[in-house]
Amino acid sequence: MIGLEDFMHRLPNDVGGQPSPAFARVEHPLAPWEKRCHALADVLDYHKLISTEEKRRGVEGLGAEVIGRLGYYERWAVAFAVLLFQKGVLTPTGLAEKMKEIEARGSAERTPADVAGA
Amino acid sequence: MHDPNHDHDHDHADADAHKEIVATERPGYFDILETALEEMLIERKILQPGEIDRQIDVLDSRTPALGAKVVARAWTDPEFRARLLADGRGTCEELGVTFYDDTGLIVLENTDKIHNLVVCTLCSCYPRPLLGLPPEWYKLKPYRARAVVEPRALLAEFGTIIPEEVEVRVADSTSALRFLVLPMRPAGTEGYTEEQLAALVTRDAMIGVVPVQVDARRIA
Repeated sequence: MIGLEDFMHRLPNDVGGQPSPAFARVEHPLAPWEKRCHALADVLDYHKLISTEEKRRGVEGLGAEVIGRLGYYERWAVAFAVLLFQKGVLTPTGLAEKMKEIEARGSAERTPADVAGA
Repeated sequence: MHDPNHDHDHDHADADAHKEIVATERPGYFDILETALEEMLIERKILQPGEIDRQIDVLDSRTPALGAKVVARAWTDPEFRARLLADGRGTCEELGVTFYDDTGLIVLENTDKIHNLVVCTLCSCYPRPLLGLPPEWYKLKPYRARAVVEPRALLAEFGTIIPEEVEVRVADSTSALRFLVLPMRPAGTEGYTEEQLAALVTRDAMIGVVPVQVDARRIA
């Protein structure tokens, strides 16, 4: 019988040896925002703001259900937000306002002017 | 094991694996989230404008051709090979491959007695400075879950049959330590130049899921 104790034995990322769906040799190129998200992860690591291991634990901290429903880079983006809140770098309200502003611009694409003028 | 109460977990696992494949087709909200994080960090002068774009260029500059160059050199220069096995990162740097992060590298040599396979069960750690970004299958649950318990069966799904007398070793990567497989040099390549050898070496051979073959077409 597998019960609640199963949750005590493994964190969500610890999948080694777990039952799994059939293997498929899947390849797909990254969407532009996914590549930016990857680059953001690297840059956050360089700046000692969020290390690779912190990011992984941040993803794990989202919990199995959220992990299961989000895509690979979606988890990263959400984990970054949560970690930056925890570190006091950003606030949820500030982020929500910024997202609204970007949405109102009609595109998530940054322009050099946006960045330079920031 | 097939307790009905546990079905949720199985459904969940299936959804997980499938989701990772299709999720990128609906980037809207997360695209905005990523952009917002980036812009706010620049506004707070934590990141410099242009830093992300420069890192994208770095990511784009890394392909398996770099790893292949290292492998071909190891096949043709025994002293280089010995140094590579003793100090993976330092020896790659000697060949001009820069590491853009703090990760260590261990190079694992395949022989007629040992076959090495690389995985990251916890996430997707990978020797990115040498191979670029990992393939999707490397990041998905089936590969990660099975590599450590039934590597021979998993390898067979890549068409790689490892003879029983050959030991299979699975190296599980971490955020601080990455692995690269030094595949066996195929027979019949004695007269090949280093460049000709490098052209045979595929990404998947350096992960350890396929051997290097003389007639291999570069599929990865």
